[in-house]
Amino acid sequence: MRTVKKAKLLRLHFGEADQYKGKPLYEAIVNRCKELKIAGATVFRGLEGYGETAEIHRHHLVRKDQPIIVTIVDTEENLGRLIPEVEEMMDTGMIATSDVEYMRIEKPPAAGT
Amino acid sequence: MLQKGTAKKVTIFLNEDTQHHFGSLCDSILTFLLHKEVSGATATRAIAGFGAHQVMHTTKIELLSEHLPIRIEFIESAEKVDELMPTLYDMVTDGVIEVQDTNVVKVANKDNLSPPKGPHMEMRGTARLMRIYMGESDKWQGEPLYEAIVKRLRLMDIAGATVYRGILGYGVKGHTHKSGHLLFSQDLPIMISVVDSEEKLARAVNEIESMMQDGIIVFSDVDVIRLIHSRPAAESSHANG
Repeated sequence: MRTVKKAKLLRLHFGEADQYKGKPLYEAIVNRCKELKIAGATVFRGLEGYGETAEIHRHHLVRKDQPIIVTIVDTEENLGRLIPEVEEMMDTGMIATSDVEYMRIEKPPAAGT
Repeated sequence: MLQKGTAKKVTIFLNEDTQHHFGSLCDSILTFLLHKEVSGATATRAIAGFGAHQVMHTTKIELLSEHLPIRIEFIESAEKVDELMPTLYDMVTDGVIEVQDTNVVKVANKDNLSPPKGPHMEMRGTARLMRIYMGESDKWQGEPLYEAIVKRLRLMDIAGATVYRGILGYGVKGHTHKSGHLLFSQDLPIMISVVDSEEKLARAVNEIESMMQDGIIVFSDVDVIRLIHSRPAAESSHANG
């Protein structure tokens, strides 16, 4: 009884050093996702990269500015609520969406685990 | 070259001193198999045994150690075995030939691991990208779930899988995954990305689903450009997503 549903995948690309109201931007975005009851969000840190400003994002000795990717899977309507908020929070970066199908796995906790 | 999957295993029992055209029958059979490009054959000498003649041959008594049993084994595809069998049937004048169905699980060839020479090949096409989200502390039979999944994918000959560790996240379970204050108490989000054909991923999903307790699996259509080296076994090539 597997159900595969259609959804949207949202990817936000920016730098680790980006801040929003004194907090790391990725933390602020994840918190906002929770407030908006978005199904889930995952933050990944890249090793190296560059973007709009052609400045290389990498791990410096004193300054951390590696690339950050936030991936979010949810319905088109929910992402529609999220995107304008995120757009306002982000300074520079990239927002990409793609069509996906997803399958949620949720089993009752097995005995002894 | 032997392939994974169903095959036939042939076992021939004979005596060490059985002759074939002035040579030992065992040598003749092995030479024949080599000439026919059988993927591999092994002859083993027994330490004791008896056959249709009802005489015990054993290394323990010198007098009886002359006719020790020898077993020759090889694994080949059903067609190849059919092709070889008439000649083998004819050659074995004293002994037993047995054929059984078998399942080849792994064919590893060390030579294939040497750095390939020549330019790479480009393969273009459409495929499916599967992203599997879970927690780092998720376990499957005592080992980390992401390791167990990658091992299983490898066994199923899936083209490639990459495990990513996130730095922050939340999902189906509702709780936030973040690195603990102690180095050892980590429960960060894990994402495995896998690229392969739709049919192969459909098979893989069944297996993965039974291993996972909680999580989400996301599929999307992708165009792939796969760079592979033109070697016979392309199973070690990588695909990332």
